[in-house]
This record gives sequence, C-alpha cells and structure tokens, in this order.
Amino acid sequence: MFKLVRIVSLISFLGAWVASAQAPLVQERVLLTFIPNVQFAPFYVGIEDGFFAEAGFDVTLEHLQEPEVLDLVAVGQANFGIVSGEQVILARSRGRDVIYIFEWFQQYPVALVYSDALDLSDLRQLRGLKVGIPGRFGASYSGLTTLLSSAGLSETDIEVNEIGFNAAEVFCLGAVDAAMVYANNEPLQIRSRAQAGDCGPISDVEVITVASQVDLVSNGLIVSRDLLNTAPDNARRMARALQAALRLSINNPAQAYLASLAYVDTLPRDAALITELQAAAARQTEFLALEPGREAVAESRAELLRQLSAQFDPGVLTQFQVLLNTIELWDADQLGRSDLASWEAMRDTLALLGFLGDELGDLSDAFSNDYVMVRNA
Amino acid sequence: MRLSLHEVEVSYRAPAGASLPALGPITFDIAEEEFVCLVGPSGCGKSTLIRVLAGLLPPTAGTAYCGGDLIDRPLPQIAIMFQDTNLMPWRTVLDNIALPLEIAGAPKSERQRRARDMLAQLNLDGFELAYPAELSGGMAQRVALGRVILQAPRIWLLDEPFGALDALTREKLSLELLRLRGRSRQTIVLVTHDISEAVLLADRVIVLSRRPGKLLADIAIDLPRPRSADMIYQPNFLRLAKQVRACIQDLDD
Amino acid sequence: MALTPVALPRVLCLGISDMAEKNFTQAMQPQKSRIIVHGALLRRLSPVVTIMAMLLVWHGITEWQLVSRILIPPPAEVLDSLVKALADGTLAKHTGTTLGEMIFGLLFGVSIGLAIGYAIAKAPLLEYILSPIIVAFQSTPIVAYAPLLIIIFGTGPSSKIVTTAVIVFFPSLVNTIVGIRGVSPRLRDLMRSLNAGRWQIFRKLELPSALPVILAGLKTSATLAVIGAVVGEFVGSGSGLGVLVITARSQYDTPLVYVTVLTMTAIALSLYGLVALVEWRLLHWQRRTA
Repeated sequence: MFKLVRIVSLISFLGAWVASAQAPLVQERVLLTFIPNVQFAPFYVGIEDGFFAEAGFDVTLEHLQEPEVLDLVAVGQANFGIVSGEQVILARSRGRDVIYIFEWFQQYPVALVYSDALDLSDLRQLRGLKVGIPGRFGASYSGLTTLLSSAGLSETDIEVNEIGFNAAEVFCLGAVDAAMVYANNEPLQIRSRAQAGDCGPISDVEVITVASQVDLVSNGLIVSRDLLNTAPDNARRMARALQAALRLSINNPAQAYLASLAYVDTLPRDAALITELQAAAARQTEFLALEPGREAVAESRAELLRQLSAQFDPGVLTQFQVLLNTIELWDADQLGRSDLASWEAMRDTLALLGFLGDELGDLSDAFSNDYVMVRNA
Repeated sequence: MRLSLHEVEVSYRAPAGASLPALGPITFDIAEEEFVCLVGPSGCGKSTLIRVLAGLLPPTAGTAYCGGDLIDRPLPQIAIMFQDTNLMPWRTVLDNIALPLEIAGAPKSERQRRARDMLAQLNLDGFELAYPAELSGGMAQRVALGRVILQAPRIWLLDEPFGALDALTREKLSLELLRLRGRSRQTIVLVTHDISEAVLLADRVIVLSRRPGKLLADIAIDLPRPRSADMIYQPNFLRLAKQVRACIQDLDD
Repeated sequence: MALTPVALPRVLCLGISDMAEKNFTQAMQPQKSRIIVHGALLRRLSPVVTIMAMLLVWHGITEWQLVSRILIPPPAEVLDSLVKALADGTLAKHTGTTLGEMIFGLLFGVSIGLAIGYAIAKAPLLEYILSPIIVAFQSTPIVAYAPLLIIIFGTGPSSKIVTTAVIVFFPSLVNTIVGIRGVSPRLRDLMRSLNAGRWQIFRKLELPSALPVILAGLKTSATLAVIGAVVGEFVGSGSGLGVLVITARSQYDTPLVYVTVLTMTAIALSLYGLVALVEWRLLHWQRRTA
C-alpha cells in the first residue's frame, strides 16, 4: 500500500518535472494602472499561489497610466493589460484594435461621496453644488456624467472642480460639497477621518455608487487583435488563470491579503494580524472544501471582519477592509463576462461627453466572452 | 589745498591672522599746485598710498589731510585714475567721459557739450560713439584722463596711468598731461616706475623704500617749466635722474 | 565654500550655444569677409533646414508605417488637428491660461530671484544663511511636491504661478549673484571716488555690468517657465496646455497631443526669442566689441 503511494507520487513528480522541462514558463508582463495596492490582490494571488505558472506564464506586474497601458498593448509591446471598458471604447474610436476579454470588476467602482448633512436621496438635489473630480477624464468623469444624466442633469447644472487625486484633503478642507471617488477606498478613508474629527465640520459621509444607478462596463483584461489571431490559446489561459485567482481572492480574502504583503509596501505589517490572517486563511480553505454557496462565503467574510474588528485597531484593518469592499465589486456568480448593455451605456456617456473619435465601429467587436471559463460547463 | 600725511601706516590682515605691514609709517606734505612723482620698487606700497589719499582705503594708523579735511572717505576735490583704463565697456566714449558730470547731476545738454569739448582737446574727435574696446590703449587712457579732468578736482592722483603703454605713447601722453594741466595747475601725485618720466614731469620725486614703504628720499626737481621731451639729454636732467636711480639701486644692494 | 553649489550652474545658464557662437565668430574673424557672410547665411538657414529635414523624416516614418500611427501620427493629421483646435478656440483658451500662469510666474520668480540674488551678492553672510534652503529647494524635484502646492494654493491659476515661480527663481538668483559679484572692483572704486550714491552705483554700474549674465539667466528661466506651469496643470487644473495633453491623451487623440506639445515648444521658443531680442537691443555694445 505505502509502496504504491510512493510509486504514484514518484511518477507524478517525474511527470510534473518532465512537463515543466518540456514547457518552460513564458515571460509575460501584465500592465496594471495606479500603484501597487491591495486592490490588485487577484494578481498577487495569481503569482503567489501559482495560477499563472499553472497556465504557463511567468508574470511580472507593472503599473502605468491607463492610456499608456492601452497603447502598449495596442502596439504589441505587452500582451496583457488591465484598463476600464471606457478606455477600450475611447481607444477603439481612434484606431486602436484592442479587445476586452475578461471583466474583472462586475460593478463600476466609482461613487459620489458627500457629507451626511446633505440630503441627496434624490440626485436632482445635486443642482448647484460643488463637485470635485480628478479632472475631466477617466472613470470619475464618466461616472459623474452618467450619474448626472441618470438624474436628468448635465454638467452645467453643477459646479465641477478639478482637484486632482486629492479628494480626501480637498473634501475635508470643505472646498467641495461632494467628490467623485473610488467606492472601495476613499469613502473609507474620509469616513475614518470624519469620525476622528479630522475632516472639518463633517462627522460622517454618505456614498452613492454609479453602479446603483446604471450598469457601466468596468475594469478588465485587454489583449490586442494580433494576439487573438496568432495565439488565442495564450489569451484563453491568461483569462482563466485570472478567473481562478480572482475566485480564490473573493473566497479567501485572508489569503489574498497575505499574498499582497510581498507586493504592497504600504500594507501594515502587524505580526499579530498576520498570524491571525494565516489561521483564518487555513480555516477558510477547509470551509471552502465543503463547496459553500456565494452567500455563505459572503457571510464568512463578514464574520471574519467582525472577529478582526474585535481584536484590532481600525487603522491596522483599513487596508483589509478596502479589500473586502473591493471584493463586493468583483463578486458575481459568473466571473469575467460583460454584457453589451453595459458597453452601450458607457458608449452613450462618452458620446454625451463628446470624447469619441470617428472609428468606433461595431461595439460587439470591442469585447468577447469566449475566453472566460463558463460555470457548470 | 595741501596734502599732509602724518605717520600713515597700512597693514593687511594675512590669512593666518597675522598682520602684514604694507606701508609706512610715513610722513610728508605736498604743497598746493605741486607735481609729485612717487617711485619705488614694486610692491612697496605706492598704490596703497594713492588709495589712502583717494579715501578708498582707511589707514591702519596715522592721518591724511587734504587742507583742513580729514581724508576718511573720497573727497570731491580729489580724483583718481588707475593703471587699467577702467572705462565702462557698455558706455560710449562720450558717456564714459561724461560720467563724473552725470553722477554730479549735470543736465544732459551741458554734459554732452563739455564732454565733446574735452574729446576735442584730447584729439579724440569722431570717437564719441565708439566703445572702449574699439580704442587703442593710448586712446583709452586719454579718455580716462579726460574723465579725471571733467571731474574738475584740485588734486589728481594718477596710479601708473601710462604703465601699460609702449614707451613712445607713454612719453607723448606724459607731455600731453602737462599740456592739459596747463594754467589751472592742479596738484598731481603720480605713481610711476619710470625714472625718466618722474624727473621729466615732477617738481619733486619721492622715493619709497621696500615694503613696508617708508620715505627714503625726497628730491626736488629744479628743471625749468615748460618741460619738453628733449630735456632728457640735458646734464641737469641726467644728474637728477642718476640721483633718483642711486636711491633705488641702494635698495637692491 | 557655500558658493560652489550655487555658482556651478553658471556655465549652464550662459548656454552652450552662446559659447559656441562666440568661439565661432572669433574663429571667423581673421578670415575674408565673404566667408563670414557665407557662414552667417548658412547659420541663419540651418534651423529652417533642420526643421524641414525633421518634417521629411516624420512624413517618411508614417508614410511607410515604420512606427505605428498610434505612436506617431502623420504630419497631415497633426495639421488637421491643429486647424480644428484653432478653429473651435480650444487651443487659444488653453494656451491663454498657460501663458498667463507663465508670465505671472516669471514676474514673481524672477523678481524674487533678482532681489534675493542682489542681497546675497552684497551680504555674503546671507548666503550662508539662505543657501541650505535654496539648494534644498532647487534639488528637490518639483513634480514631487507640486501636489502639496496644489493643496495649499488651490486648483486655480495661483498654484501654477507658484510652481512656475519656484522653477524660474533659481537661474535668476544664481545669475544675479554671479553678475553682481562679477562687477569690477576698480569700477566700484571709481564710483566711490566720484561720490556716487547707492542708487547711482546700482543703476549706472551694477545693473549694466551684470545685465549680460542676468539676461542669460532670464533665457533659461523663460524656457523653464513652461515646465513650471505644465507640471502644476498636470497635478490638478481645469484649463491649460497641461490639461489639454492629459485630456487628449485620455481620449487617445494622439494628433492633439502632438499639437499641444508643439504649442508648448513654440511658447518656450518664443519666450526665449523675446529675451534674446531684448538682449540684442540692450547689449549691442557686446556685438560691436566681440
């Protein structure tokens, strides 16, 4: 019996060795935006837990501005990039043939944050208020435009202030009444400042997400038309590796957070927290072996946060909480698929802004769901 | 206006903090309308002495007077001319020569008229709008001399004004200096290293010792005026020149 | 000791081309006049030739698709974009904003540089007190602390005026120090012996004497001013060429990016040219005596 086990393991070991010798890993750059951050946890999990290696890739991550990510993929300097769907539409309208093959964020991540002293239960009450955005570009601007048009307003009905990526500071100085921010991160920061009395007269904030009003296509994986023509299998393997890593990140946030530690210098390195998360990750692995449903997993995440909050300072937990908030934007029964309606909604917003070039063509060419692993298939 | 030096001493501060004596103590007077030449080995403090008289350098000890005025700052009745022409390269000849009038606040028309007259006297007609760098060395020094004259002081301090020029130009300019001084008879203190020049021009030649410069000899030059270039061959001239040279040579022994 | 870090960039401020030009004219002088005329003509034409050649190469690259159109659009497309941006007033509006920020930034930065430079040149003790701050300010990349300036001075033009002023301050400071310290001590003696007052010494000696060096610094400042304004606009602004670049880039409008960048170049060159013209007018004595 033991002998058999030993022979089997020896054979499988040899098999793995031969396989790896036969197919050395392909070096691939995956271009991300922003800076290393816990929100990119699925990519860290993809590397640390071997999902990319299993798909045959040795992945290095780089962070650039969105237009640079898109153009580098468009001209073939890199095969894979992560940008928002809006960028895909804009770029395609000016002659870049890139295709969106995996929707990472199921919900558009941008939201409006404002003091709870204001009543914006009806968005039409935005009229006449000062709203801060980084600039007249990118997801925040598209999100604001969509929010306004969903309420029958336009930019001229409010006062738009371009404040750069300083929303928390500018908002807390009282220079704007509301600000367009990333839903998973800044509201948390601003709220904790407000509650600490470090945000002017504001003691708490409310958040309205764009996704709660309109379904807009969000961030996802892009490749060039050339790659799909010459090596469609590479695209498929990358999309599926990302899908698996994303699913694990959603299901086991403690493990995702631990994987991020090696990449995000600014994460708190509290030894007690790390020990606690390691234990939590192990427990969650056991729990996941029981194949719980999405609701049960979501409940397990909430439970973990409750446990941790009882033990740790809010400051130590902020980034873990950002991760949990972001997971809400990722989670869905079927990961990776985007639908035409969300693309059309985004196109309409961009057309409203007058940003589109004249080469857009058929919107269904902009994305494909053929590379995603379909559930129960 | 008499110039009187009483026990004047100048010492510079050496880098190590020690004091480096450069001049004196020295005491002598210069009478009104007198033309005095200062000679001495190089580095003996001739230029230092001139700067003290010009009020540009306060003496470390002793006093210098011009008439009844203590020289503790530049006095309006004293003008100084330096060895380098010291013209402003961005000003035309006319504007350079008129500078003293400009500083004194004379109106423009008067400045221009007097500066033009001066240029004519200096035989520099037609160079009004030239820049200093376009002039020869001799012409530039004449402009500098003209500037001193337009300042109209009673005392001229001339620190080797012709030192950088060739012998012929120097001689010509020396005599021109006498001509320009003319009847107004300003007091002149002229530093030179040329013994012939000193004897030819001066009423008195003062010989300074090596650093720190002290009064070594005070030789009266009793040659008749007006002086001319061919005087240098007269026995009287040669005797006086020899006398001065002997004083300086003593130093070298 | 404290002067060395400040005095070092003087060579840079005078400009390589200035020095080269001087050597060139000196070298040409003994030659026959016809050759000089020939050389001058060639020299005057050479920038035009360079620009023509660059346009040709540019056209060739896009014509034969050596580089993707995404990276380098054809000259014709850029020209179209320029015409469109001129026609709808976009370019004029953003250029106006940036020019305004630059001019006020230059005004503040250069006058503060002149004032502090003059004070330092006259009082060496000040240099010991101020140089650590000034050198630290100068050696810290402005892009790093520009966001702080935006927060302090707001997102309007004032923050860009500040970034511009900060960046143009240094050349003006250094060249003022070098210029005033370079005033001939003999000429100072002359002015003193003429009993000139402080203002007369400044007006009739120090200013004209230091002017060539100060103007060389102003040339450098003029070209840096664009950087100051655009850096500020990049961080957070509603209008200006920096904003237009980001906007065009975010809309993948590469021809408009080129139009904007070339406009910045044109502004920098025009300002440089303007100072050179002022220099040409004020320093004609240098040409006469070169």
